[in-house]
Amino acid sequence: MNGITGSTALWYASRATGVVSLLMLTAVVLLGVLVNRQGRLPGLPRFVVTGLHRSVSLLSVAFVAVHVGTAIADPYVSIRLAAAVIPFTSAYETFWLGLGAVSLDLIAALIVTSLARAHISRRVWRGVHWLAYAAWPVALAHSVGSSTDMQRGVLLWLAVGCTLAVAGAVTWRAARAAREVPRVKRAAVTLAQAARRPREAGLR
Amino acid sequence: MTYAAARNLARPTPQPAAQPAPGAPGGLPRLLPGRGAAPADLRSHLERHGRPPYRGQSARLIPVLQESGLTGRGGAAFPVHRKLTAVIEAGPRPIVIGNGAEGEPASDKDKALLRIAPHLVLDGLQLAAEAVGARSVGLYLHRGSGRPEQLRAVLAERAAAGIDRRPVEIIDAPARFLAGEESALASRADGGPARPRFKEPRVFERGVAGRPTLVQNVETLAHLALIARYGARWFRSLGTAGEPGTMLCTVHQTDGTRQVVEAALGTPLRDLLALDDRASAAGGSGGSSPWASTAQAVLVGGYHGAWLPAGQAARMTLSNAALRPAGGFVGAGVLVALPADRCGIAETARVTRFLALESAGQCGPCFNGLPRIATALDELAGPRPDPQVRADIQRWAGLVQGRGACHHPDGTVRFVRSALQVFAAEIERHARGRCTAPGAPPFLPLPPGAPATDADWS
Repeated sequence: MNGITGSTALWYASRATGVVSLLMLTAVVLLGVLVNRQGRLPGLPRFVVTGLHRSVSLLSVAFVAVHVGTAIADPYVSIRLAAAVIPFTSAYETFWLGLGAVSLDLIAALIVTSLARAHISRRVWRGVHWLAYAAWPVALAHSVGSSTDMQRGVLLWLAVGCTLAVAGAVTWRAARAAREVPRVKRAAVTLAQAARRPREAGLR
Repeated sequence: MTYAAARNLARPTPQPAAQPAPGAPGGLPRLLPGRGAAPADLRSHLERHGRPPYRGQSARLIPVLQESGLTGRGGAAFPVHRKLTAVIEAGPRPIVIGNGAEGEPASDKDKALLRIAPHLVLDGLQLAAEAVGARSVGLYLHRGSGRPEQLRAVLAERAAAGIDRRPVEIIDAPARFLAGEESALASRADGGPARPRFKEPRVFERGVAGRPTLVQNVETLAHLALIARYGARWFRSLGTAGEPGTMLCTVHQTDGTRQVVEAALGTPLRDLLALDDRASAAGGSGGSSPWASTAQAVLVGGYHGAWLPAGQAARMTLSNAALRPAGGFVGAGVLVALPADRCGIAETARVTRFLALESAGQCGPCFNGLPRIATALDELAGPRPDPQVRADIQRWAGLVQGRGACHHPDGTVRFVRSALQVFAAEIERHARGRCTAPGAPPFLPLPPGAPATDADWS
């Protein structure tokens, strides 16, 4: 195949949106970890980090939708709509596409519960949100496994980079959580710190 | 703790000659029995007021409450009929909880009312439950205060006499300042920690067990029980047209005594506190001052309230209409006259430290900001503070205001800001290395052993 023709456009669109989706889902996980630990991005207030996490999540849904839609529409391989949603029912690349269906379902659950957050209990929302840590590795495995392009060259390095970033963020989160001050002691800890250095401890 | 029906405090608004309801008690006190009388047992309560006048149907009491103009006596002064209506409209199977968790260390009035007139509170609880059609009824009380045990015995007595239509469950509150906050109450009643949550959805829309929940202060319920019996006109025969009725106040005099007093809204503060309108926050120069026993300032509305110079307070009445323009409010009726031989800044610093440690530790601006404000006030209370400290406090106050899930940061900031204003002369004295009352014993009350930094929230 040379270049993008009418018959290959959908195939390329599916691959390209797949790669962008992986990058965006990685960003969503990184931002999610930051939001959870009340971290900041340099020069941005916390609410911007929260807003960014939400906006990038919704945007990545759009890319995932195009990725799945073009894959189904592409006549080169036959993937039925059901196979994109129900794991391991695809005739083509049963296992690797099955992982894609699993992550799609998990992401759908995350998005739906987050959009309906005001109407469901916080505990349910939190429980479902933990699935993010399952959805991301499954999506990565699907990307690397079903795409021969991603097994070498620049795209392989991209996959490795994403993996290192998420692994780093999760480690950072676990370390921060371990050092967390219990709520009942927070004010007392701040008071002790403020007493040690009353002037320098400026509020921002 | 002592209580009294403040004499000469009734300032009835002009009334038609006819009594609003036959047999209705006139004048003060309404809630508490007369001075020196024993706590009302069931027999004396029934002799005085009779059985609760059930209406036989929900919502029937609401127009009466609307006409009475009764507002919540827990501090927020929200119209009671509107809350009841909102609960009814929010959905089926509502829950009613009487709030007797009085976390404010300077307030005794709910504890006194529950001890002396528990039957009025419980009548009000039953009538409120009937008015919104609630089957589940609770009463929220601080554990360790003796109230849960006392109220259980009272409830058993009422059950035996067949007075209560709904069983009342006692819910215990931890000994925290914020435990009586409405959403903290809902969380505790759900079996969780007594920590406030964000305002939306409101507790009356979705509270305990996700059901519409009516939370009313115990004093509000006692007034409700009397309005149900003697009518709206009787209730309005005391108080002002805009703020009718009476309220219980915890009054702290300059000599260190504290008393629970029932007063009509609109009563001049100088009838409640010994105030001299010539006195000012300038204060004296120690124990030998001619103003030693007079007040230099008055704290209205408790530790989330505001300081007023004594001279200004002496011209005010017990009403939000009078106090709001001056930055104060009646709140839950705490009135403290600070004697001239005390340091207002040192007192404010000590209480602010307590308030900072009572943060629920949930919202950053609160658990980071209040301790820093408290530390800066500590420095301001000492000799020759850094000239920058006052500006720091003002700046931090602006940063925490309006940024908590509950009103704790806002209330604390109001208290601190009013102190910076009212005790400005004292701050200047500290800048010169002097103080009105170096080493004076604390005046504003705090719970023994407070602040209890790791006390339980559940």
